[in-house]
Amino acid sequence: MQDKTQEKTKTQVLTREENELARRLRTADKPLTVAGTSIGRRDDPLKVTGKLKYGADYSAEGFLFGKILRSPHAHALIKSINVKKAQELEGVAAVLTAEDLPGRNGFGAIIPDQPVICGDKVRFVGDGVALVAAETETIAHQALKLIEVEYEPLPGIFDPRDAMAEDAPKIHEGGNILSDDKMVKGDVDAGFAEADVILERTYQVPFLEHAYLEPDTTMAIPQPDGVMLIEGPMQAPFTTRRNVAPVLGVPINQVRVRQIHMGGGFGGKEDSPIDLSCRAAVLAQATGRPVKITLEREEVTIQTAKRHPMIMELKVGVKKDGTLTAFQGVIYDEQGAYASLGPKIPPAGGSHVHAMVMMPGPYEIPNVKVDAYLLYTNHPYGGAMRGFGAPQVHIAHEQMMDELAAELGITAVDIREKNAFRLGSQTATGQVLSQSVGLRETLESCADRFKWDERLAATGWVDQAHTKRRGVGVAMGWYRTSIGTNGDGCGAAVHLHEDGSVLLYSGITEMGQGAFTVLPQICAEELGIMPEDVRLVKPDTDLVPESGPTVGSRSTTLMGNAIILAARQVKESLMDTASMMLMVPTERLDAKGRKIYDRENPDKSLDFAAVAARAMAAGKRMIGQGWWTPPVPSLDGHTGQGSPYHVYTYSTHMVQVVVDVETGEVELEDYVAAFDVGKAINPKALEGQIEGGVAMGLGYALMEEVVLVEGVTQNPSLQGYLVPTMLDVPDIQPVILEVTNELGPYGAKGIGEMPNIPATPAIINAIAQASNGRVRRLPADPERIFWAIKEAGGPPQD
Amino acid sequence: MSTVELSFKLNGREVSLSVAPDTLLVDLLREGLGLTGTKAGCREGECGACTVLLDGTPMNSCLLPAVKAQGREVTTIEGLEKTDGSLEPLQEAFMGEGAAQCGFCTPAMILTATALLKNNPDPDEGEIRHALSGVICRCTGYRKIVQAVQTAAKARS
Repeated sequence: MQDKTQEKTKTQVLTREENELARRLRTADKPLTVAGTSIGRRDDPLKVTGKLKYGADYSAEGFLFGKILRSPHAHALIKSINVKKAQELEGVAAVLTAEDLPGRNGFGAIIPDQPVICGDKVRFVGDGVALVAAETETIAHQALKLIEVEYEPLPGIFDPRDAMAEDAPKIHEGGNILSDDKMVKGDVDAGFAEADVILERTYQVPFLEHAYLEPDTTMAIPQPDGVMLIEGPMQAPFTTRRNVAPVLGVPINQVRVRQIHMGGGFGGKEDSPIDLSCRAAVLAQATGRPVKITLEREEVTIQTAKRHPMIMELKVGVKKDGTLTAFQGVIYDEQGAYASLGPKIPPAGGSHVHAMVMMPGPYEIPNVKVDAYLLYTNHPYGGAMRGFGAPQVHIAHEQMMDELAAELGITAVDIREKNAFRLGSQTATGQVLSQSVGLRETLESCADRFKWDERLAATGWVDQAHTKRRGVGVAMGWYRTSIGTNGDGCGAAVHLHEDGSVLLYSGITEMGQGAFTVLPQICAEELGIMPEDVRLVKPDTDLVPESGPTVGSRSTTLMGNAIILAARQVKESLMDTASMMLMVPTERLDAKGRKIYDRENPDKSLDFAAVAARAMAAGKRMIGQGWWTPPVPSLDGHTGQGSPYHVYTYSTHMVQVVVDVETGEVELEDYVAAFDVGKAINPKALEGQIEGGVAMGLGYALMEEVVLVEGVTQNPSLQGYLVPTMLDVPDIQPVILEVTNELGPYGAKGIGEMPNIPATPAIINAIAQASNGRVRRLPADPERIFWAIKEAGGPPQD
Repeated sequence: MSTVELSFKLNGREVSLSVAPDTLLVDLLREGLGLTGTKAGCREGECGACTVLLDGTPMNSCLLPAVKAQGREVTTIEGLEKTDGSLEPLQEAFMGEGAAQCGFCTPAMILTATALLKNNPDPDEGEIRHALSGVICRCTGYRKIVQAVQTAAKARS
């Protein structure tokens, strides 16, 4: 009883704080004119003409080419290294080893545990043991071959469960368990005692490669005043700066980082640019010349972060009517060689804790226990990839829901309807969902659009020869907005000029998701002008306020709020000025369509530009600065109880497939995906996020896997690492629902990652529904489907 | 290293130059001629981002020795540029439908679709998907690209 009281107190405190934050954001109750419309992307004209410059498109004249000598061993001591011959090669400007480094020999998005250059040991195939800078790429390659390294191989760890053994070789000095987290709610034993059916299943997912089309590239350009300028495609300029400075041994303000438009990121360009920037910077510092490092496609696969593989053991209890009573889970979350974005940033940051929190799914379950282990191995490392730990655990809980439903003889939709979150539900961390919970609405809309009942009834053999069966699948999902750390603040600046034009300063980066379109839209809405009146200043750590990284589906929501707060400061100047000019009190004034007008007499209006000119002349404030920090997150380190993320996006996906039961081949026939997004600021851009996210989830389901043997990547090129083509992806029908988020700009929530998450289990569930083939170890390629059908005793015979 | 003489028509203009015999067309275009609208994504003919038109046919310029262009006509995305600054219906449609996200595959998609519509002005969805399947897009899920090609086909007819 006492526990419950404490819980109540916590909830009340949180509610008060949220109300205060919501009050700060509240907008006048008027229809939106700019936000909520599908304006075209600002950078589209450059994209369709080929004029948009990506990292590799900038001239490298005068640059040295940087290259990385990579370890061929997964785990080994470096006994000696001889770079003399490489240094003597004509055209080589520098060859660096660990002992040449000026500052901290380590970088990392969370913990700096990855050496810039390995000194005493290597931990994965691809680890950097020396750096070369040369006049041409060819010379740099030749120099790499002249470096002599003597290794003493050590036993490697290639299964995360082996990393936990007492006698396992230690990959890092602190041991192989990077994080050991628990989430405990209620009493699972009591919950299992109440259950009519208990199932235990293990699900497994592999390393995944982002396969963004643009290979990573970074330029480090020493400036005459001693500042190191870093330019490259990247999602997290501030995290990059935070790493480059200590590696060079200089203060943060001596490093300037500028983002170049990315050819795709998906989380992968959060930490790989840190790696390349640190390495290019030490070469540039050593030579005094600009250095460019561009990875080849195979290096992208071998070196950069991947989606974490996981082995997930579930035990779930359910009553006959479909009510869940207990959920017990164990996650062996494979970190690989370095910490990257895996470990916890208290209270709830890092991909590992996020996976743990998400693991029971968007369902009310009274009794939950999850043990989550984050483990070093001698594989490439796991980082952020569109969902940050959530896609993996959704693959487990969404398959389990279907397996339970089948066991109970109820439908996959019935069991979800029975347990899905609603307003006021309590999550497995004890968080009460107090606002913007549209999960059930997504299930209803999706089923309606998809015609679930009809299609479910129509599943069965497609052909008379009984070789192909049609089936349907469903999966639900939830995803946070924000990253769950205390320091998830986000800053923006709005500069108003005397002609009414505006400069918007934001550190949120563009990787194709549309931030450079949506953020000016929010700014224009708030000021009552048009998006084309706002020019966005591209992310540059010397110019824009700290905005945090462009990750965690946080850009539109957190930066949107910061922009609104910044815009209001200059709007106050405008309204004061207009009030004097019109002789109307400010409370009666409003702005839209480049006019400031009297709400009670709209004919009484002024041009926005004229008011801006007068405000400037009167010495009014013309610069606004906004800072938004979401509600303080909480998560108890021992029980995993608290409110880790302040709001969630919800989704339901339904898909129809045809499975060839003789070959295991799958064709997707139809796909509907419904989302509660809070508010769509730019519906067309949002649809693009949905369609692209689903396509990526399809790849995860059916074909994608980084294959590793003894630590060696077997399929580093796109010949071996398959991604969906235009022939694989069906016509995806997006359904957008808006259940207002009172803590988002005009009610918006994050959307970048959510579409990717339920897609994979929806497809896997459809395959099982069609064929009986339940593939619990991904990807569900034809061979695995074939054997899964065999294991199930063949396809349904009806 | 010895070089060879090479003459071909590039975006409507005759060019003559000396290249190393092992130069790939993608490198000649991007580095030698500064036409960076052609992208290099994988350098092994898998992603299609480097697609150019060789005598009107889409080809992976990363697999093509530059000398193969001898006496032929090469069209890159820059070749669609018109003096009055107006855009091709395909370019307009890609913008209108939201068919570009990161944009890295966009030049290749537009060039491939240009070749398709030239040979087949009114393709059905299956023909569009088949024709464009050699270019990978990791962002869009392809739906809006297909729609853009359909819209452009309508606009041209």
